Amino acid sequence: MKILYIDTSSSYLYTAIIENQSKIAEIKKEFGQNLSKEALPEIASMFNTHNLKPEDINKIIVVNGPGSFTGIRIGITIAKVYAWSLDKPIITISALEAMAISGEENTYHVPIIDARRDHCYTAIFNEKNEAIVKPCYISYEKLAEELKSLKEYTIVSNDQEKIPFKNQRIEKYTPNIQKIVNSVKDRDTVNPHSVNPEYLKLTEAEESKQA
Amino acid sequence: MKETKEMYILGIESSCDETSASIVKNGTEEIATVISSQIDIHKNYGGVVPEIASRHHVKNITIVLEECLQRANMTMDQIDAIAITYGPGLIGSLLIGLEAAKTLSFIYNKPLIPVHHIAGHIYANSLVRPFQFPLLALVVSGGHTEIIEMTNHYKFNKLGGTLDDAIGECYDKVARVIGLEYPGGKKLDKLAQLEKCTYQLPIPLHDDSYNFSFSGLKSAVINLAHNEEQRGRELNKEDLAASFEKVAIESVINKVKKAVIDKKIKYLIVAGGVAANQRLRKEIEKLGSEMNIEISIPPMKYCTDNATMIAAAGYYAYLDGRRADLSLNSKSQDKLV
Repeated sequence: MKILYIDTSSSYLYTAIIENQSKIAEIKKEFGQNLSKEALPEIASMFNTHNLKPEDINKIIVVNGPGSFTGIRIGITIAKVYAWSLDKPIITISALEAMAISGEENTYHVPIIDARRDHCYTAIFNEKNEAIVKPCYISYEKLAEELKSLKEYTIVSNDQEKIPFKNQRIEKYTPNIQKIVNSVKDRDTVNPHSVNPEYLKLTEAEESKQA
Repeated sequence: MKETKEMYILGIESSCDETSASIVKNGTEEIATVISSQIDIHKNYGGVVPEIASRHHVKNITIVLEECLQRANMTMDQIDAIAITYGPGLIGSLLIGLEAAKTLSFIYNKPLIPVHHIAGHIYANSLVRPFQFPLLALVVSGGHTEIIEMTNHYKFNKLGGTLDDAIGECYDKVARVIGLEYPGGKKLDKLAQLEKCTYQLPIPLHDDSYNFSFSGLKSAVINLAHNEEQRGRELNKEDLAASFEKVAIESVINKVKKAVIDKKIKYLIVAGGVAANQRLRKEIEKLGSEMNIEISIPPMKYCTDNATMIAAAGYYAYLDGRRADLSLNSKSQDKLV
């Protein structure tokens, strides 16, 4: 059972091919503005290096956000076109859940992705990695309120310098792709046509129209 | 050998607010086309909102591809190459088509052909009849106003273009001043048919170049509307539309005529969404018979953004040896030549 994992929801490309819980190939690289150019050559290079063909993949797991709007769409487009054209089962996972799964064990996790204007994307996961606060777009002020009720928790984020919480230890995020794949691989698959980003936020045009 | 026999190209276009896929045989024969337009969504905002456009492209892309293959009764294995609009256009929109095309190229190991959006508009005409060279292409749309000379297939020479707004953009903005709902360019053209050119407007960029400028004309209309309002006079919308259209089209015709004479052109192509403009069509046809040159204006379905023209252009780009690898990137701005 070979599983292709794709996450382009930040400035990084996180991708891997996992087979029966072991890692065949993995890439973790920061590309920033060049993600659209580099994502596919990098994914293709994993296949070439290991002499694999696209048909050899049995399942695709793709991160559907939140994060960089453009970034998410790159990975989602690749994954849904791949799954649709070769009729491969596909599963989506939240970037926030991937962050929680990759964190230290036996603690509550609060993954944070900065969303500018004093807001962030976040969720709260218990030690079994169940979301007790679902992924959402929220002000840091409101999040601080939420966190007051928690006794012990670990913040996971790559936006340390943007998070306004003082004296708070923040665990840096590097995905443990094997662990992520292992915890979600048996979830229900979805129709590739319905694989879409979860932005958690309306566009500015839609927001000002509602206001 | 394949080049001279049958070649099926899958074209993908997502540069603005239309998600489109098409299969074209040998650059001339349309097999199937699907266009998913977002116009009804963007109408609510008075113009295309880039982030909303990107969101819809990613939603629609596989549905559009699937329907296109179904209508053609073909599978990806029967496709010989994939042609993709890499630019110019809205970067977030372009990226969806680009990533889809690159993914298909990777999965099926098919050549990837990069197509410039303007080349697509020009090659919409090859779906109607064969090209004759030297040829002049007038590309007029919401994003472009260009005069391009072609001495052979895929040999483009840009003679001139707009220095500021595109003509279609100017039409839409003037339409808004008159109070027409977006996209108002077409409605403005209709209004102008009741023509009486009572308002005086300057002919833009009346010089020796092949260039255009429409921002001055746009400002003149806005000022005129403003002044009339301040004087408490009611704006005659039909007359203003007619007055605007007269000078806008006249400036285009002047430059085209100059290029036809200078470059000894025998074949004139009009392409892009504004090719539907009634006055432009009338004036171009008049120019054709006056100068004794052949005119080609594609049917409307090929004038607005579509992947058929991209697949058609892709064929000639392929014959010209143009290929891209998986590192192809989108470009919001890029010159054809």
